[in-house]
Amino acid sequence: MKPFLTIITTLTLAITAQVMANPNIKDSLVRVNSTQQRWNTSQPWDKLAPSSRGALGVLLENKHILTTAEMAANSTYIELENADSTRTLPATVVAIDYESNLALLAPGNGNAESFFSALQPLALGKPAKIGDQVDVWQLEDNGMPLITKATIQGADIVSSFTRGHYFLTYEAKGSMQSATSSFALPVIQDGKLLGMLSSYNSKDQIIDIIAPEIIAAFLADAADDDYQGFPSLGIGITNTVDPNFRLWLKLPEDMGGLYITSVRKRSAAEKAGILKGDVLLAIEDKVIGRRGYYDNEKYGRLFWSHLIRGGHQVGDEIKITLLRDGEKKEITAELTRSGKKLIPNHMHDQAPNYLVKGGFIFQELSATYLEAFGSDWRSKAPLNLLDAFINPEDYEEGRNKLVFLSATIPTPATTGYERIRNFIIAKVNGQEIADIASLIKAFETPDADGLHTIEFTDGQPKIVYLDANTSDTIDAKLLQRGIPALSRQ
Amino acid sequence: MIKLSSAISITLCILSTLTPSLAEQKEPLAPAANATAATNGIYSSIVRIEAATQVPNYREPWKAGNFSGGIGTGFLIGPNKFLTNAHVVSNARRLLITVHGSPQKHPARILHIAHDCDLALLEVEDFTPFEGLEHLEIGLVPKLESQVRVIGYPVGGNRISVTRGVVSRIDFSTYSHSRADQHLVVQIDAAINPGNSGGPVLQDGRVVGVAFQGLRSADNTGYMIPPPVVKRFLKDIEDGRYDQYVDLGISEFTLFNPAMRKKFGLEANAPGVLVASVMPDGPCDGVLEDNDILTELNGNAVDAAGNVLIDGEKVNMNEIVERKFAGDEIKLRFIRNGKTMEKTATLKPFPPAKMYSVQYGVAPRFTTFAGLVFQPLDRNLYAAHSFKNTRVRRLFVHYIDEAIFKERKDIVILTRILSDPINTHISNHTGKAIESINGEKVTSLDQVHALLNPEETPEFFVIKCEGLARPIVIPSNKAKEASERTMRNYGISTPYRLK
Repeated sequence: MKPFLTIITTLTLAITAQVMANPNIKDSLVRVNSTQQRWNTSQPWDKLAPSSRGALGVLLENKHILTTAEMAANSTYIELENADSTRTLPATVVAIDYESNLALLAPGNGNAESFFSALQPLALGKPAKIGDQVDVWQLEDNGMPLITKATIQGADIVSSFTRGHYFLTYEAKGSMQSATSSFALPVIQDGKLLGMLSSYNSKDQIIDIIAPEIIAAFLADAADDDYQGFPSLGIGITNTVDPNFRLWLKLPEDMGGLYITSVRKRSAAEKAGILKGDVLLAIEDKVIGRRGYYDNEKYGRLFWSHLIRGGHQVGDEIKITLLRDGEKKEITAELTRSGKKLIPNHMHDQAPNYLVKGGFIFQELSATYLEAFGSDWRSKAPLNLLDAFINPEDYEEGRNKLVFLSATIPTPATTGYERIRNFIIAKVNGQEIADIASLIKAFETPDADGLHTIEFTDGQPKIVYLDANTSDTIDAKLLQRGIPALSRQ
Repeated sequence: MIKLSSAISITLCILSTLTPSLAEQKEPLAPAANATAATNGIYSSIVRIEAATQVPNYREPWKAGNFSGGIGTGFLIGPNKFLTNAHVVSNARRLLITVHGSPQKHPARILHIAHDCDLALLEVEDFTPFEGLEHLEIGLVPKLESQVRVIGYPVGGNRISVTRGVVSRIDFSTYSHSRADQHLVVQIDAAINPGNSGGPVLQDGRVVGVAFQGLRSADNTGYMIPPPVVKRFLKDIEDGRYDQYVDLGISEFTLFNPAMRKKFGLEANAPGVLVASVMPDGPCDGVLEDNDILTELNGNAVDAAGNVLIDGEKVNMNEIVERKFAGDEIKLRFIRNGKTMEKTATLKPFPPAKMYSVQYGVAPRFTTFAGLVFQPLDRNLYAAHSFKNTRVRRLFVHYIDEAIFKERKDIVILTRILSDPINTHISNHTGKAIESINGEKVTSLDQVHALLNPEETPEFFVIKCEGLARPIVIPSNKAKEASERTMRNYGISTPYRLK
């Protein structure tokens, strides 16, 4: 009798394991359908044509749904849909992090009780090891799960949604197929959420997965109402592989180190006294090599920035070891958010500020405006604006944002000015222009002759004049012709 | 007039043929050797010019350059004076002239060459065979819609070719040979083809233009250099030297805007154009100021668009300066702060403008050091390397209007790093402008050469590029060896050329 019993027991165990693995996870998946719309950079009062995309989100505790920032950014409407498409529910964004490409959604107006009744929250799992097998979940149209096995090949620091922001990412090998709602997908290990798929390279069959450490930090930050974001140190670096360069820096052979090429103003690094030209040797006693990698106990060699953005919060103090003039130096830096930039890196969910005056269109410069010049915008965009983007420190004095004349609508007030565009504004009516708000204020006081004086920092001519009465009349006409508002600030 | 913008799109094409095939080079044997003026008439005075050229290599400046050649046309305008285009004979190492119907090739040389208006005057070593040939006379600007004949040696055969056309436009336009100059141009609808370059355009037996460029994007549009430009060239060289065009050195802005006119107190029909900027060190520096309103040039009223009336035609006011020479004075009448003033500007050449003109007949300057190649920025270098770096592009575009030329005779660019153990880990520095060497600000190629070859060597050569915080560091004790090694490995025959 005994052997028979044993067999039955094992069988039951096997069945339970399978039941636990599959249907439960399906019960935690939600389709996220997002309609997104960006602003028109050349006519900033307009939005561009909307577009839609679908992804899978994961139900966490408190009826919160995790998805990528790419899904939630610039959204006009987000809808949740269950796997078999029998129920839908509008959603709102609780927290969004454009840098790490994560977003947390909550149910909006609607029958949340019935939507969530058949769903189960999923827990966030532990970090994976290199070589682990993981499941990437997709849902077919009919609601059937489509599971792709993938093997984690490595961990790297990768930028996914926002240029210049790098986070811990697993790179897994697996052959995926097209299916609906696949813009972002959950990756599961041992019945728990491991990470979110942020991109798939079909040529190399490499899957990028946002790591659980990053998701955990995001969720911890998003737990209260005040989402802060990931901390930053605020330095630019270059490697110290060149032996001649090392000799000049007096860097001993047994040291690694990164050469600090820039220290951003008002950054944690500047406050801590880090100088351009210092060599970054270690953070929290983790020694940084010549190319910027350190030994991570879990993942092997990882890029140094993970020491800042991988496990720390804004306000944390970290120990930094530097080499300055050939001598070692230890300092403590309090991590902060990177400060407001003169020229913002992106304009997600932000309507561009502008002012229309008599036919002149003034805007605040952003990277988004420059990128609208096409894939080769680095050579196609106006040279003076590119220069400001690359060297903002030359333009920061007296400015919050860089205001420029983006285009000229031909009107009776702008006769003869039709070709003026992309000039940076210095002063209007004698007042320095820090942003669109100060520009609007400056236009309130034309001179005694009823003329506005507009001074450019570059361009020819350097000053143009605008008749205050004529431009007011024209502004009224432009409103009649369909421009919804003359300014946004 | 010199155009200071870097963003001139070139749609014009030059009309001399390049490297004719062997078949085309064969001379016909049939014509009699003693063809004379009597049988050929005016055709004998229109000659075929064969140029063997050596074009400098701006990418690898130590190399001899490419040997090639081309065919153009020229014509006799006086005793041993053949007029042609500068681009027909630019970079020439050997010039041969052939008369229509004769197999004999006569060696020729350049007397004067004017790259800014694409004209050149040649002479043959022995003029005897040409004695007695008719000298073509330069006439006047042909009228619109009048018919002209273009004669030359275009592609498609070896013998002389004649086409007819009508004058379709008279305009101020870019001369594509230097890419930076604008002068009067006459457009005709005759088929002008490569090889026609330098040939005469005739009307009533007189030369009314020199065929010189075409338009790639349109059929049947040919351009010729009109008599005022030709005559100015001939007058300029009378003293035995070509002095180049002179320029007022201002940029103007049209005064069409009512608010602008109100600000300057101008009546609706009052003349005057706004001075938007005055070129530093130019002829008007210290004479005119920004925001002056220029109302008269040598007694000619300047309208709100910057045009003047000459011979009953409205033309750009620069046309007045166009006909002047270095040292000539120009009377300027202008309004400053509501007051009318009169001053005189003395026209003068402006060497820094060379930055924007294609250079011919000069070997590229450079210096090398431990596998690093340094070259001064100019139009030729820019065309050869198409720099992407924003700083370099800015330095180029604003070299004159921001008076960068006053401090920096050359903008020195690190154009190439020839891989060697000493420099193999340097990245991102290629295509950047050199800011300083061992702390000293870089102002010319000569200075860079001197700083890299000092009498007393420092421990390190520290070379900083603009916009890059990380300098290039070369230890002195290894530099000499590396320089010699890279020269040997990369076949560099001369380490530098400073002139």
